[in-house]
Amino acid sequence: MASSTWSSSSLFIPREDTLWYYIALLSVLSLLGQELSRCSVLATTADFEGFGDDVDDEDFSESSLITDLPIRSNLPPPTTLTPQSDFETDHGPPLDSSSSPPLSDPIPNKPSSNSFDFWDEDEFEGLPIQENPTNLKSPDVASPSKVESDSKVEIQATPPLPKTLGSFTVEIVCVSFLIAFLFNYFSGKKENENIALAWASRFATKDSIFDKNFSLLGTGDGKDTPLLLKEGQNVFKFYASGRRFCQGMLATMDLQSRHDLISRLYNMIVPCKDEITFEVYMNDDAMDNVVFALAKKKLAKVMHKELRDLQRFASLVTSGPNNRKWVADELMVITESKEVAGDLITETVLDQVFGDKAFPKFGKGFISMHFSDQFVGSHRKMLILKFALQDAKNMADMTRLVALVPYYIDLIGRYKLSSQARPKTEAARTKVAQEVYKELQNARQEALQKKKAEKRKIAEEAEAKLSAEVLRKREEKNRAKQMKKVMPKVKMTRAH
Amino acid sequence: MSSHGGNSSAANDPRQPSTAKPYEAPAVSPQDLPIDYSGFIAVIFGIAGVLFRYKLSSWVAIIFCAQSLSNMKNIETDLKQVSMAMMFAVMGLVSNYFGPARPGTQRG
Repeated sequence: MASSTWSSSSLFIPREDTLWYYIALLSVLSLLGQELSRCSVLATTADFEGFGDDVDDEDFSESSLITDLPIRSNLPPPTTLTPQSDFETDHGPPLDSSSSPPLSDPIPNKPSSNSFDFWDEDEFEGLPIQENPTNLKSPDVASPSKVESDSKVEIQATPPLPKTLGSFTVEIVCVSFLIAFLFNYFSGKKENENIALAWASRFATKDSIFDKNFSLLGTGDGKDTPLLLKEGQNVFKFYASGRRFCQGMLATMDLQSRHDLISRLYNMIVPCKDEITFEVYMNDDAMDNVVFALAKKKLAKVMHKELRDLQRFASLVTSGPNNRKWVADELMVITESKEVAGDLITETVLDQVFGDKAFPKFGKGFISMHFSDQFVGSHRKMLILKFALQDAKNMADMTRLVALVPYYIDLIGRYKLSSQARPKTEAARTKVAQEVYKELQNARQEALQKKKAEKRKIAEEAEAKLSAEVLRKREEKNRAKQMKKVMPKVKMTRAH
Repeated sequence: MSSHGGNSSAANDPRQPSTAKPYEAPAVSPQDLPIDYSGFIAVIFGIAGVLFRYKLSSWVAIIFCAQSLSNMKNIETDLKQVSMAMMFAVMGLVSNYFGPARPGTQRG
């Protein structure tokens, strides 16, 4: 709501930065225009700047053919007409160009050498206007006023050039890449949408697992709102709310950037998976002091290092309680106390997903699971479950994984720590809270001290200024006194 | 299957319509948005293409513009950089193909 009103208002009334942006755009446009006109008029300077090497090769080959006319040699094949028309005016019938140069060698060379300064403009004039040879009659009297009008004509009438395909390699490659990009954009977009829709139709339609567990599905508040919220081309969000123990659940599907050809190519080298992350926002009164995570061994170590709450409260657990089954070997538990781990990894969960037998079969897509009451941010108590998405056809494979979400909501919602474990966790929390408080206070004190130091500095500076002024005043007084001392004498002398 | 959900919530319906909250999109300040790398690269290539009159650079800038456009999430905030890059790229191409036309060599 708010965003829509904001966007509409910003459309009509440009904000300050958009205004600046428009100004910048205008200036770039004007630059472009200037550049264009400058380039078309002053083509001579551009001759020396930047052109492909292949072009130069062509020139050289041509110049080696017609050695008598080194200046004309820059002309492309169709412009061989110009020398012809030159000869037409000077001599008589048009000759074939191969025989004419040696015959008319001395005469056409002269004007061209005379008009060397104007050579470029002449060539530009001569190029498009092959029909009226009057222009070429007097090449040495090149009128500068014509240059502008002729340059316009020159842009319109670009003669078709016999060019080899090789000289367009860059263009061909780039344009074909762009076309491929465009096709891939639509096909990849469709692919991603299909995956997201397959997931939604499997788990979020009527009588599916989320419909049975949540009373509100989708990001809207009405009945006919779409289930999925699309963010960009590869992020889909599914929101559900209205369940005991939790305020809501947000599932974020982070798919590969299939719509983007470049990252698709990159993913061929560095493969990445489609992921879905469930964030369950627990009610404040429905979650006890629990810090627990479960992930594959490598990831578990990384998580323990990088996630703050795990780092502070929990430790890696290699083995479970002695007398019972534990999670599969690939997995590792990070927990605050063994009791919590033992209570959260129940027999049913081991049977269904995490046990040695079940995990290879049903746990394929499992990435990590992280429950904590100490998250930083708007929601302190959250369950985060991360799975890899299967492709659209095999969505059913992850049914058991998705079923973990409501299962753990209930399990943790009902879970109460034992009277032995609770004091420990509470002590740890108060300790951490004190540390945080101390840090905060330290930061505050530092800020205060900084402020004080700044104030002192300002005061000192002011004092220094003042003292300078005082000094100046004193000096002035002294000078005045001295003057006074001198003055009476003068007066005296005058009086005398 | 949903035996999990069934097991734990067998007794009664877990749904509580009264506590349902509509979705609120988390407010993200423009500073926190992920950096649009492709747009940035496009700007750099575009400027290089204009400065050095190097057409390949301009073409690459256009390709990265396309990538940036296709990855855009919020049109309002992202369009500026992309269109800037686009300007530079097109300007480079135009000055490359039409501007400094040596007689007949680079046109077409």
